[in-house]
Amino acid sequence: MQIKTLRRWNNAIHRDTGYLCIGMTLIYAISGIVLNHFKSGDLVHPDYAKSYKEVVVPLPKDGNVTEAYVFSVLDRLGEKDHYKSHVLGTKSLEIFLSMGSVYIDLTNGSAQVEKKTPLYGIREFNLLHYNNIKKLYTWFSDLYALALIFMAITGMFVLKGKNGILKRGAWLTFIGILLPALFLLFYA
Amino acid sequence: MARKLIFSIGIMALTLSACNMVSKGLDPRDAVKVAVATFENQAAGIVEKTVIIEGTVLHTCKHGGKRMFLVDGNDSVRVEVTAGKDIPKFDEKLVGSRLRVLGVLKEEKIDEKYLNEWENEVKKPEENHDAGVHTGAKGHEDQGTQDKLDQINSLREDLKNSGKDHLSFYSIEASKFEEIKK
Repeated sequence: MQIKTLRRWNNAIHRDTGYLCIGMTLIYAISGIVLNHFKSGDLVHPDYAKSYKEVVVPLPKDGNVTEAYVFSVLDRLGEKDHYKSHVLGTKSLEIFLSMGSVYIDLTNGSAQVEKKTPLYGIREFNLLHYNNIKKLYTWFSDLYALALIFMAITGMFVLKGKNGILKRGAWLTFIGILLPALFLLFYA
Repeated sequence: MARKLIFSIGIMALTLSACNMVSKGLDPRDAVKVAVATFENQAAGIVEKTVIIEGTVLHTCKHGGKRMFLVDGNDSVRVEVTAGKDIPKFDEKLVGSRLRVLGVLKEEKIDEKYLNEWENEVKKPEENHDAGVHTGAKGHEDQGTQDKLDQINSLREDLKNSGKDHLSFYSIEASKFEEIKK
């Protein structure tokens, strides 16, 4: 087979594999950014956006936490309709709401109100990224990883001439390998 | 062409969802009923047995959602529940919900060797989150290196005082769970 024919096949396969990989690449890339910043501490949770408010609430009479006390706190905070359950700690009380919680320090009445909003879409992307669903998805995601390897290899031979792998392409490929190697060298 | 493609994708989706529904599960009739309050006392005698437990979710692990903690009324006893192979994750929306969980009771033995390996893991720049003992206490996932080293030293002390060669920590590997609506 001639080089020209080989290159035509290479480019056609590279192109079609590329189309097939768009969906998974976007899922892994978007979720990758989120998980990256979650691991580096910029985000408190990968699946939920959270906000916090510090307030002071009255302490329970006689130190006894009753359901009436819990609801009086929620009434004060305008969260009565969102009550789910509550759990008593040694010196604290945590009230769970449908989309958040109230954590009360029973020694001084200081409370933290947490509100959370699901990151729809990203939450599902993270589920795939972590491979939490396993089963057939393990094989499917392996196939996607193999397709990426295949794309990287065929990508080297898409162009010839001054932009090909032997000239400009060689330098850019070298830089692309050097950068992660430097991170490993200096940080690992 | 487009119709054929949509039809094929539809067939594939149906096949995948059908595969997903096939779950052997565990028979709840064989399960030993355990309670959160008495879990620690019951656990040693029923390791590797199928158990059923009810409790309120205090916390779900934000690193992949593979772990949650159940309490009952107060947080003095926290029962660790890990996700079995058929449970993708414990979503944070479960926090505060009352659940009934079916699973197998597991024992983790913590000895001197384990503590040494954990200490080495904590000292690494990129720590493996799965290493170590998870307590479910508020903020335990945001512990710094020193907090974890303190926890390891406290366990070393407990191990020494126990007079045994290991400490036992019990958890439930869940195969199924359901929310109990009030």
